[in-house]
Amino acid sequence: MDAPAGQLSLSTRLAVNGDLPPWAAVIACVLVLVSLGVLVVHELRRRERGGVAIVASGVLALLALLLAVVRPVRIAARESVIGAKVVVLTDTSRSMALPEEPSGKTTRHDVGARALAELAKQSKDARLLALGFGEGAPTPVASKDGEATAPSAPRSDLTSALRALAASAEERPQAVVVVSDGRLDDPAEGASPENLAALGKELKVPIHAIATTRQGPPDASVRRVSAAGAAVAHVPLPLSVEVGCSGGLSCDELTVTARELREDGPPALLATGLSHLKDGKGTVDLSVTLERAGARIIEIAITPPSGDTVPENDRRLLTFVVARERVRVLHVAGRPTNDVRALRQWLKSDASVDVVAFFILRTQSDNPNARQEDLSLIPFPVDELFTEHLPSFDAVVLQDFDAQPYGLEKHLPQLSRYVRSGGGLIMVGGQNSFVAGGYAGTPLAEVLPVSLDDSPGATAADVAPITPAWTEDGRTAPLLAPLREVASEELPQMPGANILGDVRAGGLVLWSHPTRTTRTGAPMPILAIGDQGDGRSIALGIDGAWQLEFSQLGARTSGRGYGAMWDGLLGWLMRDPRFEPGQLDLTSPCVAGEPARLRVRAPDGGRDASGGSAREMVVELRRLDARSGEPDAAPLKVEVPRHAPGATGTVEVTLPPLPAGGYTARLKLGPGPTTRRDFACEAGGDEWADSRPDPDRLRALAAATGGSFRWANDDLALPFPKPAVVSAERHVVPLAPPWSWTLAAAVLLGVHWFTRRRSGLS
Amino acid sequence: MRRTLMCFFPFAFALGVLVFFLPRPARAFGDVGAFDPRALLAGGTTGPARATAAGRWSWELVQRTSAPARLKPSQVRADDAGVVDGPFLWWSGDASVATLSPQEIAGLRRFFALGGVLLVDDAGASDDAGDGRSGASAFGKSAREQIARVLPDTSPIALGPDHVLFKSFYLLKRAEGRVAGPRTLDAIVRGGQTQVVFSSHDLGGALARGATGAWENPVVPGGDLQRERAIRLAVNIAMYVLCSNYKDDQVHAPFLMRRRAGALVP
Repeated sequence: MDAPAGQLSLSTRLAVNGDLPPWAAVIACVLVLVSLGVLVVHELRRRERGGVAIVASGVLALLALLLAVVRPVRIAARESVIGAKVVVLTDTSRSMALPEEPSGKTTRHDVGARALAELAKQSKDARLLALGFGEGAPTPVASKDGEATAPSAPRSDLTSALRALAASAEERPQAVVVVSDGRLDDPAEGASPENLAALGKELKVPIHAIATTRQGPPDASVRRVSAAGAAVAHVPLPLSVEVGCSGGLSCDELTVTARELREDGPPALLATGLSHLKDGKGTVDLSVTLERAGARIIEIAITPPSGDTVPENDRRLLTFVVARERVRVLHVAGRPTNDVRALRQWLKSDASVDVVAFFILRTQSDNPNARQEDLSLIPFPVDELFTEHLPSFDAVVLQDFDAQPYGLEKHLPQLSRYVRSGGGLIMVGGQNSFVAGGYAGTPLAEVLPVSLDDSPGATAADVAPITPAWTEDGRTAPLLAPLREVASEELPQMPGANILGDVRAGGLVLWSHPTRTTRTGAPMPILAIGDQGDGRSIALGIDGAWQLEFSQLGARTSGRGYGAMWDGLLGWLMRDPRFEPGQLDLTSPCVAGEPARLRVRAPDGGRDASGGSAREMVVELRRLDARSGEPDAAPLKVEVPRHAPGATGTVEVTLPPLPAGGYTARLKLGPGPTTRRDFACEAGGDEWADSRPDPDRLRALAAATGGSFRWANDDLALPFPKPAVVSAERHVVPLAPPWSWTLAAAVLLGVHWFTRRRSGLS
Repeated sequence: MRRTLMCFFPFAFALGVLVFFLPRPARAFGDVGAFDPRALLAGGTTGPARATAAGRWSWELVQRTSAPARLKPSQVRADDAGVVDGPFLWWSGDASVATLSPQEIAGLRRFFALGGVLLVDDAGASDDAGDGRSGASAFGKSAREQIARVLPDTSPIALGPDHVLFKSFYLLKRAEGRVAGPRTLDAIVRGGQTQVVFSSHDLGGALARGATGAWENPVVPGGDLQRERAIRLAVNIAMYVLCSNYKDDQVHAPFLMRRRAGALVP
C-alpha cells in the first residue's frame, strides 16, 4: 500500500526580493541593527534636547533604507504535506505459512497481514510501501487482483532485499519496517551487532521490526543436512544431519535414516544413525555411497516422537547430482580375440575409465601342457564379481562370453536387477554371445534391447559376411554422431552376425542386417539400444567392430572410428548429455502443491529421423516413493507442444501441482529410449526445516540500526520521520515598486538629517 | 544283436533330440578376429624363414588356450594396402634384408600408427657359445636398422621377466627359442605399448614342424624342454597381441606374485 499525499492548501507569506542573494539581505540587516545600536547608544550618552526625535527619525530612516534594499514581496503558494516514505518489508517465505501459535490455525502470514493493516492505520502521516521479501529484490505483496500473495518464497533473504532498496533509483525510504517471524536465511542466526548495523548503513535509515510469532509449534524436524564435498559415484559421501525438537516437545534421541529413492523398487536404505539431543538439538554423521551418477533423490528422515504437529519436516528430500570421477567398467570376455583386444585398448586408453577385466584364457578342453603354477591364470571370481562388487560398476560389458560354463547363469537375475536399478549393460557379439551364450529365456535377456529366440534349436549366428546397414534412427542418433563424423556411413564388412530378435518396446535399432529379417519381417537388429528400468543396455551383434581400427577404412580414418563408436556407446550408457536425444531441467525447485516448470530441450526440435514432421514429445512423470496401489503410482503424462521448440529446441512445460515426494521425469521422443531427470518436491523445504520463530534476531536488528521492535499484537505506533511540505504553485507580487522604496528611504533620511541639524549635530 | 540295437535305439533317439535342442554354435563366426601370425614380406624377403612355424604357432595356441587362431596364416607385403588389416605381423628371416622402400616404410608406419605389433624373429640367430649371449645374424642386425628407419624416434629396450610378455599366459623367467640366446627380448615401446619385439632366439625355428610331424630344427642347448619353453613364449606373445597388458592389471598382481615366489620351472 502506498499512502496518499496530503491535501493541497493555499498559503501566503512575505519574503525579500528574489533577485537579492540571501547573504546580501543578511548583511543589510546586520548593518541596520549596528546603526540602530550606535544611534541609540550615542543619544543615550548625549541626553540632550531633541534626542528622541533624532532616534525616531533615525530608526525610520534605517528601516526605510533596509526596505529599499530588500524590496519585500508577497508570495502566495499552493502547498501539500508529504508523509515520509516508509518501506514495509513483509516476509513472504514459506515459514510464514506455519501456525502463529502452537495450537492455533492462524498462520504467521495472517498475523503479518493484520500487522501491516494496523500499521497503515496508525501511520497516516507516512507513505507506506508494502513489499514482500524472500529471494532477491523485494516485490509488491499484493497481486493483480488485490489479494495478498501466499507466502511461497523458498528463502527469506532480508539482506538482499535491503541491498536492492539501496540500489534502487526510486525515492529512498526514510524508514524500513520488517514484518517477519525472524527465521531468516540472511542475516543468519547469531549475526553480530556490527553485521546487523551494516544492513541499515547503506540506506542510512532506521530499521524497525515487527515480530509475528512468539512461540513455535511442537515439532521434531530434520533441520539441516550438509554434505562434505560433492557427491561422486562409488565414493562414500559424509553427511551431517542436524535434527531438533522444539515447541515443548520432549525428545532425547531421534533415529535418522538416509534412503535413496529408486524407480525400480522400494527406497534403498543407505545409512542409519541415532542422534542424542541436547537443548533440543542434535547432530548425527552418516556416510552414504551412491552408486549411480546423475540426479539422485535421497530421503533423510527421522522417526518423530508423539505430539509432533508438523509432519512435513520429518523428512527432507534432497536432490544430489552425483558426478563420476571415473567410469567403472567390468569387461568380461569369453576368449581373447582381436575384438577383445580393440575394446580393451580403447577402455585402457581413456583416463576417465576405470576398467576391471576378466578374460577367459583357457577352457576346460584346452591343454596348456603345464602345471597350474606355471600358468599366470587366476580363477574367474564370478560369484564375488556378480554379487559383492557388481553395484560398484557403472557398466558391464559381456563380450563373446558364454554364461553356462563359468557359473554366470545363477547370477543372471542379479545382473538383470543391476541393470534395472541403473546399471549399464553391453553385450558384444561373437560365437559365445546372445543365443549361443545361453542367454535366451534368462532374466538377462529381459533387459537386453532385443528379444532372443529361446526355442529349441534356435539358430545362433549367421556366418555370411555382411556390412551393417544404417537405420534412419541410427543416422540421427547422437551417440553415433562421432562415428558418422569420422567414417560417414561407411562400415567395414563383418564376418557374420549373431541372430537377434525384434527390438523391445522402448528400444531403438541403429544398425540392421542388410538382408536378414526377424520373425515379424523387420530387418534384424545388429546394433540396438534401450532403456531398462533405471538402467540402459546395448546389444551389438557382431564381433568385427575392431575392423573400424584395422582395415582400409581404419587406415583412412587413422583408426578413430572404433574409438568414436565406443565413445558414443559408453557415453550414452552413462547418460552423457552429449549423446542424449533431449534434456530435461527444472526451471526452479519443485514445491509440493504448486505447479512446477520443466525445461525441455530437443536439439532437433523433436523432428523425426527424416527431418520431417515433429515427433510426439511426452514427458512422463512417475513417483519414486509411491507405494503400489496408491493413486499416484500410475505415471502422469504431460504432452510437450510440437510446434513450441524454437531455434534452440527449448520449450517449457508446466507440470500440475504435485504432492511431496520424489519423481522421475522421462522425456519420450518417439518410440526410442528416453531422457530422464529425477527431482524432488518438498512441502516447506528449508523454510520448514526449523519451525521455531526467532524474534531475538529481529530485536537485535532493530537495536543495531536505530529502529524499534514491536510484537505484531502490540501498539504499532512507530517513530517515523515528520512529513515534508511541498509547494505545487507559487505567485510572487512586490509590495511596492522599487522606486517608491528608494524615495521613501531618501525622504526619511532627509528628515533624519534635518532633525539632527536642528539639534546641533552634524 | 537286433535286440541290443532295439534297446539302444531309444537312447540314441533321446541323445539326438537333446543335441537338436541345444543352441547351435556359431560356426566359424569370429575367425576374422582370431590370432593370425601374418608373415611380413619386406626388404626383399619372399617368405618367412620358417614356413611351417606360423601354422604350428596357431595350432599350439588353439590347443593350449581359449584363443582362436588361423591355422592357415596369411602373408602380407609391407607395401600392400592389406598390411593394416590385422594387428600383428611376424617378420622372420635368416639373411640380411634390403633397404626398405619408401612404400614399405609408409605401410609399416600406417600399421604402427594404428597400434599394431610386429615380432622380428631372427631365424639365423646362433648360440655358438651357449652362454646366452646374443648371436644376432645379418637378418637381426639389418632388420633393426630398417625398423629404425620406420620408427626413427625410438630405440629398443630390453624386456625382462617382469614384463607382461613373460606372464601373459605362462609364467616365464626368460626368453628362449631354437637357441637359448639372451635372457631378454628387445622391444620398442611407444605410448606405453610394446609395438616391436626383437627376438634373437629363432622362435620360429623351435615351432617349425614338417608335414611328417617331425620338428624341423633341433633346439639347442636345452632340447625338448627348451622347445616347450619356446612354444610357451610364442603363446605368450600371441596372448599379448590379443589381450595387450591384461596380466598387468592390478587384480592379477597378488596371484602372480605368489606363483612367482613358488615357481620351480625356469
